Amino acid sequence: MEGKKNSVRRELKFLFAIWKANLQSAMEYRVAFISQILGMMLNNAFYFLFWVIFFERFKEVRGWGLQDMFLVFGITATSFGVTAFLFGNAFSLSEVIAQGRLDYYLSMPRPVLLHAVSARSIPSGMGDLIYGLTSYLLSGYFSWSGLGRFAVGVTLASVTFASFLIIVHSLTFWLGNASALARLLMNAILTFALYPITLFNGPAKFLLFTIVPAALMGSVPASLARDLTWQNLGGLSLGAAILLGLAMVVFRLGLRRYESGSAIQIEV
Amino acid sequence: MTVIQISNLRKTFTTKRKAAGLGGSLRSIFRPERRVTEAVRGITFGLQAGERLGLIGPNGAGKSTTIKMLTGILFPTDGEASVLGYIPWKERRQLAYHIGTVFGQRPQLWYHLPAIDTFQLFGKIYELEDKAIKQRIGFLAEAFEIEDLLETPVRKLSLGQRMRCEIAASLIHRPKLLLLDEPSIGLDVVAKQRIRDTIRRMNEVEGVSVLLTSHDAGDLEALCKRVIIINHGQIVYQDRVSNLKRHYLTTKEVGVRYAQRIPGNFAMENVNILKVGKYGVKLGFNTSEIPADVVLARLAEKGDLVDITISDPSLEEVIANIYQEVEEAQA
Amino acid sequence: MKKYWAIFKTQVINSLAYPTEIMWRSMAILIFLWVFTFLWRVAFDNSSTTILAGLTLHDTLWYLMLAETIELSRPRFANTIAQSVKDGSIAYLLCKPYDFLLYQLSVNAGDTVFRLILTFIFGSALIWRMVGAPPDIWGWPLTLIAFSFGWLINFCLTALIGLAAFVVEEVTPFTWIYQKLIFILGGMMIPIDFYPPWLQNISKALPFSYVMYGPARLFVSPDLERFATLLAGQLAWVAVLGVLVSVAYRRGLRRLAINGG
Repeated sequence: MEGKKNSVRRELKFLFAIWKANLQSAMEYRVAFISQILGMMLNNAFYFLFWVIFFERFKEVRGWGLQDMFLVFGITATSFGVTAFLFGNAFSLSEVIAQGRLDYYLSMPRPVLLHAVSARSIPSGMGDLIYGLTSYLLSGYFSWSGLGRFAVGVTLASVTFASFLIIVHSLTFWLGNASALARLLMNAILTFALYPITLFNGPAKFLLFTIVPAALMGSVPASLARDLTWQNLGGLSLGAAILLGLAMVVFRLGLRRYESGSAIQIEV
Repeated sequence: MTVIQISNLRKTFTTKRKAAGLGGSLRSIFRPERRVTEAVRGITFGLQAGERLGLIGPNGAGKSTTIKMLTGILFPTDGEASVLGYIPWKERRQLAYHIGTVFGQRPQLWYHLPAIDTFQLFGKIYELEDKAIKQRIGFLAEAFEIEDLLETPVRKLSLGQRMRCEIAASLIHRPKLLLLDEPSIGLDVVAKQRIRDTIRRMNEVEGVSVLLTSHDAGDLEALCKRVIIINHGQIVYQDRVSNLKRHYLTTKEVGVRYAQRIPGNFAMENVNILKVGKYGVKLGFNTSEIPADVVLARLAEKGDLVDITISDPSLEEVIANIYQEVEEAQA
Repeated sequence: MKKYWAIFKTQVINSLAYPTEIMWRSMAILIFLWVFTFLWRVAFDNSSTTILAGLTLHDTLWYLMLAETIELSRPRFANTIAQSVKDGSIAYLLCKPYDFLLYQLSVNAGDTVFRLILTFIFGSALIWRMVGAPPDIWGWPLTLIAFSFGWLINFCLTALIGLAAFVVEEVTPFTWIYQKLIFILGGMMIPIDFYPPWLQNISKALPFSYVMYGPARLFVSPDLERFATLLAGQLAWVAVLGVLVSVAYRRGLRRLAINGG
């Protein structure tokens, strides 16, 4: 039995190969690719305009101002972009399961979940990524040392987001097709992540750290990017690790159900 | 050496039936209707190394379910299976390194990329060394005559060209067993022939065992030595293709043409009139009911024969007859 | 005309085929409104007055509720048109014995009905709980009329984006930008009354505010004069855009006939 380190290396090699294929696929339609990137950047900029207008009028909300908004957009957009560009199929996992397309990944000698989520890329994710980076640069919290913290924050936020997607989409194994519910929950985590955390009181805040872990995708990595404390690094790492573990467990349980054939729902 | 050995494989599905619409959804929450489907009811067969076996049966017969259990995608409800020495559903990943699959309806090649890019990716998926991948692609490109097609995006290829590339892709990692599901579906006659030839050649040259499921009797005739007919989850017939045609049915068809306009009445006992024309007629009969020489003698009496054709029924007709007989036997 | 009514009715029934799906989709409004209540409570707390630009917190939240409802029940078919232009199937659709655009109108209207009803119910339930009773009920029919015309304007604009597929390869980025234009210039996340004056003027000159701000503002402060002005503006825009759509459509068809798809 090979060591753990060896298998990590093997899967990384595989990931690079499939990412390469995805990139090649996107480049086949260069014009569309570029217009998707630019379009998404513009799209996000317009969305951000709301906050510019809002803070122009209201200055700040409980200590949170426009600069903080730039930062949290930077974190969340970049994490979203990373997930969309590298693990784009995570967004369609419900359909993959419901249409029996997991069979294809099951017939190959690579970890099913990893293969399934990386098999497709969402080209506009690159636009989110670039936009996020720009937003961070404009936030006033940028520094060369800070860039490292930003990178760590984005990585952990991406893990959080991807794991969350996997968990909600895996409900399809039991519910037949959870894509509408998954879309709802994805909207939830993204919307909540992009709001000033200072707005929320106790019970609401609890929700944002647990059931819909938007805080782990927005404000906590943002505070990590601002400055490193053991609290925010530890909390974020722990949260991301728990979610990732949960995602793998839920998927594996669902996969077992799929392999027993009882996940199929026949519609009359 | 036995490549596949399955005994008494069974698969029963318990599914919830949900009717469409608001009423149906509510009903399925409060009183779910469960339906038990026995998709596979005790199948036993084997495949030897280097053999080409065909699996045929109508839709819903249990073919795909059986294949899924063989590849480890599905757990059986009962029974045993061994594929290349592995228990498929327990050692799925290890088995995956040694089998190749081609699904006519579910392409594996990346649509927007040239085939060679998918080949490279597969090489990485199966952990082949770069050099080995290159060599292998070269060999397969020549064998399948797709050298000129490798750099063209798959979406621009014709269906026949695409299928050749699909099958080549499934062989990148030199699997010991190749599973094909409807490989020639949608192809024209020439393309079909080419695919069949290539599969047969790979089997002969590399020794890869082949398990083929198809609705196309021509695939079976051209490719398989042995055929298994499945219906309602059970094997209803298992034999060599040649025996199937020779022994199972004793029907013959004879067509004749005369020099003059023929008299009207051709009715004969135990003979079906299939087609009547001004100068010719086509008849069908069963040699166990009436011997061929009697039929021919009677036909010769009616006029001056100019042309005679005697033929066996096609494999399709044979199989259709088998289905019918089994249905009648079970009724 | 009868056939479009039939298409409409069929689509209404069709949209109920997967009730859980429509339920989850309609619940999306709860997400946005929930965060809005937090945001605006704090915003109003910070200010020294209870009325900002003529609106109270209660008004603002009911405004946002209706604005979100409008956004979530708008017709989405730009990509459908674009796809059928791209793969040439639009040529076959043109052979059918009904007008393509009117067909889209009927189908999308049918789709909207239940989505609108459910979204409105969920949204009002939440806001009622948060800030109290909705605005006067006699304003509701007026709002419904204004909503319908706003929907029509939205339909025309969406059709134009879809028809752009005759000219541009990728229409998706335009759909994103269009949605954001409605956000900002239609006043989806802030009532336009709160904008700096120069932005208010721009918004009021463009059709987007007649899709969203108009009906939502009317809902909160129902008023016959406001209604009349709004309706006049809406009708004008519907006329202008309607013409633009037919022109674009005809031009596109001619292109198709010349180039063969």
